Amino acid sequence: MSSDDRTLLARAAVGDGDALEALMGRYASRIYRLAYGITRSAADAEEVVQDVFLQVVQKGTGFEGRAALGSWIYRITTNVSLNKRRGKRRELETSLDELLPRYRADGHREGDRSFLVSDWSGTPERELLAGESRRILEEAIDRLPDHYRAVLVLKDVEELSNDEVAQIVGDTVAAVKTRLHRARMVLREHLTQQLGARA
Amino acid sequence: MTCRELIDILDDYLDGTLPDDLRTDLESHLADCAPCRAYLATYRKTREIGTAATRVEMPDEMRARLRRFLSDKLRSS
Repeated sequence: MSSDDRTLLARAAVGDGDALEALMGRYASRIYRLAYGITRSAADAEEVVQDVFLQVVQKGTGFEGRAALGSWIYRITTNVSLNKRRGKRRELETSLDELLPRYRADGHREGDRSFLVSDWSGTPERELLAGESRRILEEAIDRLPDHYRAVLVLKDVEELSNDEVAQIVGDTVAAVKTRLHRARMVLREHLTQQLGARA
Repeated sequence: MTCRELIDILDDYLDGTLPDDLRTDLESHLADCAPCRAYLATYRKTREIGTAATRVEMPDEMRARLRRFLSDKLRSS
């Protein structure tokens, strides 16, 4: 942890409003993005942000880890968010295997049903992120398992390395890469099922 | 390279971390396989829009509530 973060934490812990504001400026948005990405609920994410920030301010000065404060915060946020999701909305999670490509024994495509091949990639991004397409995308993200969404947000939105993501979620780099790839393949298949016909 | 082998390493290809020999094999397969070209194009687009869709901002009013929450908690502890 940097000496600057340590100083801010010490001052915030005794109620220094400026230090608290500086910490919020650095970390609140990151905590919220990750919490929302995992819980997919603004209300749940807000509770996570409050819980995590309180832990950071109250326990941060005792944090002696060599890792950056940001990594520690991401780890707490991931754990609190996953705990909050435990037992919720499991029925939405799709069986991933149904949405992964299938192949013949020789490794090539297994005919037309191995994976959908409509190419909708020419659709402008603004169009895909609005209206019915946006709804389809959000629903597909909702249906991913929580721990898949966690690595997607850490990697793609927070732009951390695979090593950093692995340390935060407590898994191997290989496992993180597999989870990312499966999540993207599943999202692609959902989108292709819905958007392919329009391409 | 088979379709399966290609799809298994798509992320490394898009991240630019594939060794040269594998990248050459992959691009050779793509040149002859229209379904894999469509898969790559839609996979890449999925990465882009998935990132854009999950990049949310914390609402200002939520930030204000967090400020009040922390001030109250720290004052009472």
